Amino acid sequence: MTTNKTRRIIAAVLCLACVVLLVLGAVNLPKKNNASGDAILGDLRVRTLLNATGDGVVESYVNIAKKEAQAKAKAEGGGMSAIRDAVKKAEEDTRAKYENAEFSQGVVATPELLTAIDNYTAALAAHGALEEAAKQAYIDAHYEEAKAKMEAEREALLAAGKDVPEEETVEVDMSGFVPTQEMLDAEAVVDGAYIGMGEALKVIYPVLDDEALASLQETIDAIVYQPGDSFDTQYDRYLEQLGTKSSSGGYLIRHSDDLIYTALALLVVAALTVFYEVLVAKLGIPRVIIGVFFILLCFMTLWYDLSLSTLLSNTVVRMGMNAVMVLAMVPGIQCGISLNLGLPIGLVAGLIGGLLTIELGIPGWGGFLFAIVVGSVIAAVCGYLYALMLNRLKGEEMSVTTYVGFSIVSLMCIAWLVLPFQSLKLRWPLGTGLRNTIGLDSTNFKHILNNFLAFKIGGFEVPTGLLLFVALCCGIVWLFSRSKTGIAMQAVGNNPRFAQASGIDVDKMRIVGTVFSTVLGAVSILVYSQSYGFMQLYTAPRQMAFVAASAILIGGASTTRCKISHVLIGTFLFQGVLTLGMPVANVLVPGSTISETLRILISNGIILYALTKSGGDSRA
Amino acid sequence: MHDLRKKINLAEVLRANAVTIMFVILCIVGLAFSGQTVSYVMYELFSRLSRNAFIVLALILPIVAGMGINFAITIGAMAAQISALWVIEWGISGLPGFLTAMLMTVPIAGFFGYLIGNLLNKMKGQEMIGGLILGYFANGLYQLLFLFIFGNLIPLKAPGLVIKGSTGVANTIDLSTDRGFKYALDGLVRVDFGTGLYIFCALFVVYALVQLVLKRSSKKQSLTTVAVCAGVCLVYQIPFVAQMFSMVTVPVVTFLVVVLLCLFNNALMKTRLGQQFRAVGQSRTVANVSGINVDRVRIIAIMISTVLAGWGQLIFVQNMGSFQTYGAHEQVGLYAGAAILVGGASIRKATNGQALLGCILFHLLFIVAPSAGKNLFGDAAIGEYFRVFISYGVIALALVMHAWSGVQAKKKKD
Repeated sequence: MTTNKTRRIIAAVLCLACVVLLVLGAVNLPKKNNASGDAILGDLRVRTLLNATGDGVVESYVNIAKKEAQAKAKAEGGGMSAIRDAVKKAEEDTRAKYENAEFSQGVVATPELLTAIDNYTAALAAHGALEEAAKQAYIDAHYEEAKAKMEAEREALLAAGKDVPEEETVEVDMSGFVPTQEMLDAEAVVDGAYIGMGEALKVIYPVLDDEALASLQETIDAIVYQPGDSFDTQYDRYLEQLGTKSSSGGYLIRHSDDLIYTALALLVVAALTVFYEVLVAKLGIPRVIIGVFFILLCFMTLWYDLSLSTLLSNTVVRMGMNAVMVLAMVPGIQCGISLNLGLPIGLVAGLIGGLLTIELGIPGWGGFLFAIVVGSVIAAVCGYLYALMLNRLKGEEMSVTTYVGFSIVSLMCIAWLVLPFQSLKLRWPLGTGLRNTIGLDSTNFKHILNNFLAFKIGGFEVPTGLLLFVALCCGIVWLFSRSKTGIAMQAVGNNPRFAQASGIDVDKMRIVGTVFSTVLGAVSILVYSQSYGFMQLYTAPRQMAFVAASAILIGGASTTRCKISHVLIGTFLFQGVLTLGMPVANVLVPGSTISETLRILISNGIILYALTKSGGDSRA
Repeated sequence: MHDLRKKINLAEVLRANAVTIMFVILCIVGLAFSGQTVSYVMYELFSRLSRNAFIVLALILPIVAGMGINFAITIGAMAAQISALWVIEWGISGLPGFLTAMLMTVPIAGFFGYLIGNLLNKMKGQEMIGGLILGYFANGLYQLLFLFIFGNLIPLKAPGLVIKGSTGVANTIDLSTDRGFKYALDGLVRVDFGTGLYIFCALFVVYALVQLVLKRSSKKQSLTTVAVCAGVCLVYQIPFVAQMFSMVTVPVVTFLVVVLLCLFNNALMKTRLGQQFRAVGQSRTVANVSGINVDRVRIIAIMISTVLAGWGQLIFVQNMGSFQTYGAHEQVGLYAGAAILVGGASIRKATNGQALLGCILFHLLFIVAPSAGKNLFGDAAIGEYFRVFISYGVIALALVMHAWSGVQAKKKKD
């Protein structure tokens, strides 16, 4: 608790605002589904409808004027061109005359019209529900076919030596869709209801003719009913059509859920102002900032009506995708080489394993395991040599490992150009070298972990296999850290002099940690690739070590101490901020790359912070 | 006995300059296989030297002050690009525009340098990795500035700076329009190679003689300078040599600025501040005990370096005639750092000569690598990747060697 008076007052004000918003929200939220909400919607619907039919009235006037002009010109015995000109002029004149006329102004809806509209809406909704169900059934029936077709197209593209598009959603071709008998019946009912409503409208606008009404049907359809309608979508649609500002009552109902979210967000901010010191002392400034930022982002996605559950589901997938890479930092930190920014060595080894799997055409789980084994063996050998080098550079690891990692990546750029892989999935058919991104498909290990035992709860998709694999890796690292070797390794990391004095072979333990970290790096890139669906070569692995390092730092690790929980918390927060940040940023500034900028700032900011904590010795 | 010692010395020299010697060999091999004429390579080399030498020289001070290679010079380059943007916006063209940009760079880069110095003081011993990451971080802020603030919150009116339909400042900023300052410095005096050589030799001779008269240097030193200049001019009289430089034109003022910076570096080292740089560089503890405010000295070194880097970037862009708004600064630290190390500098010791030599060798390799790669392996991309690999590899090698010798020295002490 803070003792600062102003901050207490601020917190109190925030809490008060929070309560007010909560009450407002709670009062208005039920109205979305009860009579008072329906009344507002019904009123708006009629007004929108009348407004739209007003346009139809102009059309009717134009039609009448055109007919008159044509008849008149004919009577005067003019030629074809004269008639055409006269008709055109009449149309322009009429349009100009009624351009600013508001037919819906002052019109009062008759009770007949209201019942007609209700009938029509109900008929449309019934038809819409039927249509949706039928279409979904059609998609379900033809999904496999479409998927097979898409994969055949991919194969054809590969064989032709073109790049495979990264788009991966299966689109079912709807051209073969035939409406069911039920739908046709419902459609007849809709048409009947429309005619009934037309009659009611004709009473209000006597000039309205059947032709104009027919041309209006599609517009009115779209106004009155759209699939998946709720209070919010209808309200927004009517307001947009009418081009007016919302009334305060309507606004409160429309945003009643948002009011509650804002109230909760204010509560978080109030809690932050009060408990700031405690939180900072417990978690450190960066974690507090990023944690609060993440929570506020969650509220913002709700406010902008983005699907939070889908986004959180994506976050979990991306967390699983990256967690092993972050986990690879753990043995490095524990054995005392601090952040292993030379991780690209392991990543590249893993990529070679993956490439070999595709080259040899080993399918499914066998292929994935083969890639892991080959990648790990290469990583172990390279990691051993790398560890030997690091043992000669104690205390200077960070900058050296960074540049060694960069060098390896650019050396491998040359290697990707000259390695003798033959598969057309891997290399450009024309020109030399391997492709920049190698698309995985179901014959390799694409989504092999993500789809294993995966299930859905509402909009939330759980990638069971991926999470199990991450848990397995974490378990191995945890068990290792409990073993005799693991404990000795941590002793070396914590205090090398003490470890040496107690008879531990410091160099050997550092080798163990570095090799372990590098091998985990190799595994991690395969997990990442199977989830992403692509293996990225050339310069792509260069910055990955930084992302992994920053994630574990966000989780609360320092350059000398870390736990498994730091890995999980850090990866979740980091990936969560990025995943939620992108759609929110796109709402705020459309079409911007602000979330990429966000990644740069967070990832490098946290590393800088960790450096100031580790290297901040005395003045001298 | 005497012979033996001489041999050991030779081995020592070879080892100490291993990187430079390796690079000379690489350059010769590359030159042989590139299939380019010497005169073309020289033409390319001199234009690259004129635009890159300044920024490499900006790295010397922090090295002397014991902070290693200042990879945060990318931030100086950002300051320069901010200035360049506004000078174009105001429509100050030509030399006045260039000078305005230089003037504007001073406070901006100085302020950034102050912040960088303060941050690096919090991570002593980790300055290089810190500078690198700080460069990346600042790049994020730079993107925020150019994507969302300039052109949106602060409107820009000059044509071509903002493209309709996209957010922020355009991807490329063109300096060759009538608002820009392309060749503002290079174009002032441009002569062929021979004239340039005579001008600079004459200047050196005059300088040496003045020094002699003022008794600042010994007779021997001054006479050597005069003799070398005369020798170079004589060698140039050989038609074969003259032929090699036939395509080269020399932007006299730009090279003059580079020479001035070398003189500035030397002069600064002789002042009290320069002594303090050196003292701090040798040992922070000793310097602190002898009453030097270590933190302040380090901040000053970084500030000067950042401002100089900004000027270097301005020289670079006025020569190129345009720059990539979001990418021109990114590789500045990498290439300059690699260049100075190639010249034989370490992360504790660097001189003007090493910086210039490194610049020559590094860019020579840059010119010949793609075509040599194409001729040797049938693919120009290999040469491209090779030079990037070399840049990173040289820095990694220098860091490894430095760390290694440090650890060994510690072992000896124990």
